[in-house]
Parts: sequence; C-alpha cells; structure tokens
Amino acid sequence: MRKTLARGAVVVCFFWLIFPLRAPAKKLIFPEDKLIDNFDEFVQTFSSRRCQACHPRVYHQWEQSYHARSLVDSIKRMASFFAVGIPKEWQKPLNKKEMLKCFDCHLPQIRYATDRLALEIVGMLIEAQKARESGDKVRFRKAYSRLSRLNITCYACHNIVVYRASPGLFGKPDPQTIYTSNPKKVKAPHATAFAPTLKTAAFCAWCHGIYVASDGEKTMCNTLSQSYYHGYIALGGRKTCQECHMYPPGRGHRFPGAHDLDMLREGLGLDAEIRGFRYGVEEWVPAVDVEVTLINRAGHRIPDG
Amino acid sequence: MTAKDPSTGKVWYRGKREYFEVGLDIQGRMRYGAWQIKEILDLSLPPRLSRPERFLFTLPPDTREVEVGVTLYYCLKDHQCIPVRQTVKRLRYPRL
Repeated sequence: MRKTLARGAVVVCFFWLIFPLRAPAKKLIFPEDKLIDNFDEFVQTFSSRRCQACHPRVYHQWEQSYHARSLVDSIKRMASFFAVGIPKEWQKPLNKKEMLKCFDCHLPQIRYATDRLALEIVGMLIEAQKARESGDKVRFRKAYSRLSRLNITCYACHNIVVYRASPGLFGKPDPQTIYTSNPKKVKAPHATAFAPTLKTAAFCAWCHGIYVASDGEKTMCNTLSQSYYHGYIALGGRKTCQECHMYPPGRGHRFPGAHDLDMLREGLGLDAEIRGFRYGVEEWVPAVDVEVTLINRAGHRIPDG
Repeated sequence: MTAKDPSTGKVWYRGKREYFEVGLDIQGRMRYGAWQIKEILDLSLPPRLSRPERFLFTLPPDTREVEVGVTLYYCLKDHQCIPVRQTVKRLRYPRL
C-alpha cells in the first residue's frame, strides 16, 4: 500500500514538473467606448505587461525600444506645445482634439481617456519640464516616473492604429481583437486577425512622417518619411522600414535607429582619400588634399527617423 | 577633419561639414517647434546618394609630419555626438 502511494506521488510529481499547474490564460478584455478617468486604471488597461506573459521575448525587445519611452523622451517638445504652442501662439483652448496632435502618435490610447485625465497627463508633462528647467530633481523624478508608465504599447500598434494606412479599405479595428502580421490562425486568450498593413512602410509612415491632424493642421516632427518615398523609393530603393529596423536578427520590436551604433554604421559609409603634397612655386609648402565621400545607404535622408 | 602634429598634438587645421534640416515657419523663419514648422530646408544627406567633400589646406613650412583624421559623427543632440566611422593617415614631408 505504502509502495503504491509512493509510486503515485512520484507520478504526480513527474506530471507536475512536466506540465506545471497553470491557471487558464485570462481572457483579455479592452474597453470599447468607455472612457477611463483614473490614471492607474488607464495605465494598466493598455499596459504592454498584459502581453508579457505570453510574449516575453517581444516584450523584452519592446521594453528597450523608443516606443516604450514615447512620452518621457519628448517631454520638452510636447510640454512646449501644450504650454506655449496651443494657448499662447494659437490662442486655442487645450482640449483633446489639440492634444491628439502629439498624443495620436506618442500615446494613441489617449482616445480612451476622459478629457480630465488627458489634461492630467498634459499637466505632468508641463510639470516635468518646469522641474527640469528649475533643476528640481525630486519634482522632476516624480513626474518622470509617472510619465514613464505611458508609452506606445502593444495595443496601440496591434489595434488602435493598425488600419491607419488604409482606413477606407479596412474600416475601424475591433477593440477586442489583436491584429498581427501572421496570416495563420493561432489560439490566444484574445481574438486575433491578420492585418497586412503591419508589414508596410505606410503603417510606420503615419507617425514617422508629416502628421496631418483631423483639422488639417500639419505637424512636422523631425521624422520625415517623405525622404523614404521621394528619395529612396524614387531612386530605386525597395526595402520597407521593417526590413531594416525590425527583421534583421536582434532587432525585432526594439526598432533600433540612430541611437544604435550598428544601425548608424549600416546606414553611413565613409571613404577618405588623404594625400600630402607640396604647394606653391619654389617655396614648396607642405599641403594636404583630403577627398571625402559620404555614402547614405539608409532608406531615408540622414539625419532623419 | 583634423590635421595635427603627431608628436605635440597641436592642431594645424580643422574643417567641418554638417548635415541637418532647418525647420521654417510659414513666413520663412527658422523654428524648432514641430507645430510651427511648415517648410524645411533640407541640408541632410539624401538616401542612395554619395556626397563628395574636399578639404585642401597648407601647413607651416617646417612641417615634417602630420596626422590627418577624418571622423564621421552622428549627433543625437548638440553635445551628444557618436563617432560612426574614422580614417586616420600619417603624412611625412622630408626635408628638401
């Protein structure tokens, strides 16, 4: 009897080790038309951490990307727009429509926030910039740590902006579906759908180019994909953004750019012919001729993004 | 591009070329705010093209040796420049 129990325990332990007890993956639910008013709830609802359990490798890549720092890396410019651009230069009320001129790219999920919460986030950006300018490190760190929880999350690209490149053809994305570039059907705790737009340069160009707001206002950050279309493609270039910034090994959702030395070396070539000679007539002065050729191998102008 | 005395480090010549864009507002004034910029002067390196640059200069008559270095930097911010590529050559000028 004792032997049988022991054997039974060994079998249970074996299966426990091989197939660890896991709670069934919780179904992911996203808000449809409900606006969120609470900062923590807003962060948690759209957090990429919700995807981490099933997609740890992708999450780790994204964590290192500038998409994960989309707010804290642009504090100065956005705070300036919200504190000076809208109220003083344009003399317009600071509402969500105006805020979207930054947030539509830097924080696309803002559309699910109430006006009050959106204003709270704008206040944090202005507070962070003021604290930075005044050298108040404690105040700055406090605002920065809150802002760092806001970024371009998985849900932003894989749902909110997925059809931006062609909304006429695809319509509005379903809030409960995660759109992928994988055409195969997969089992997941959320509905999935294949979105061919995710593999196109047009998908990236929505933000990495001249942004046209709903009222027609053009916003030109220093990310002008126009050189991709009118410089690179026009001269015979055929790669998409993803082919350089995403598909090569070690890049993925990290989307390295100018902050990555390998990317810079890949995109920029330098050839220098250096020759010494003597210059003049009779009084032969030492001289140098340096012929430099710079080669831009990137798919866009440099500097660009 | 820097030409210096390899023994003392004294710089004989320094040359620089910069590539960037200038954001302009609707009245043609240089601007920094993304919301203000409506036009640009494109002074950047265009894709799929190479750009030649020439540095031609003389050195003090008694120069015997010079080290010429060409470094390509990418500047993320004003004071945050990453050296991307570099070529260095030492030139000698024997006494005539």
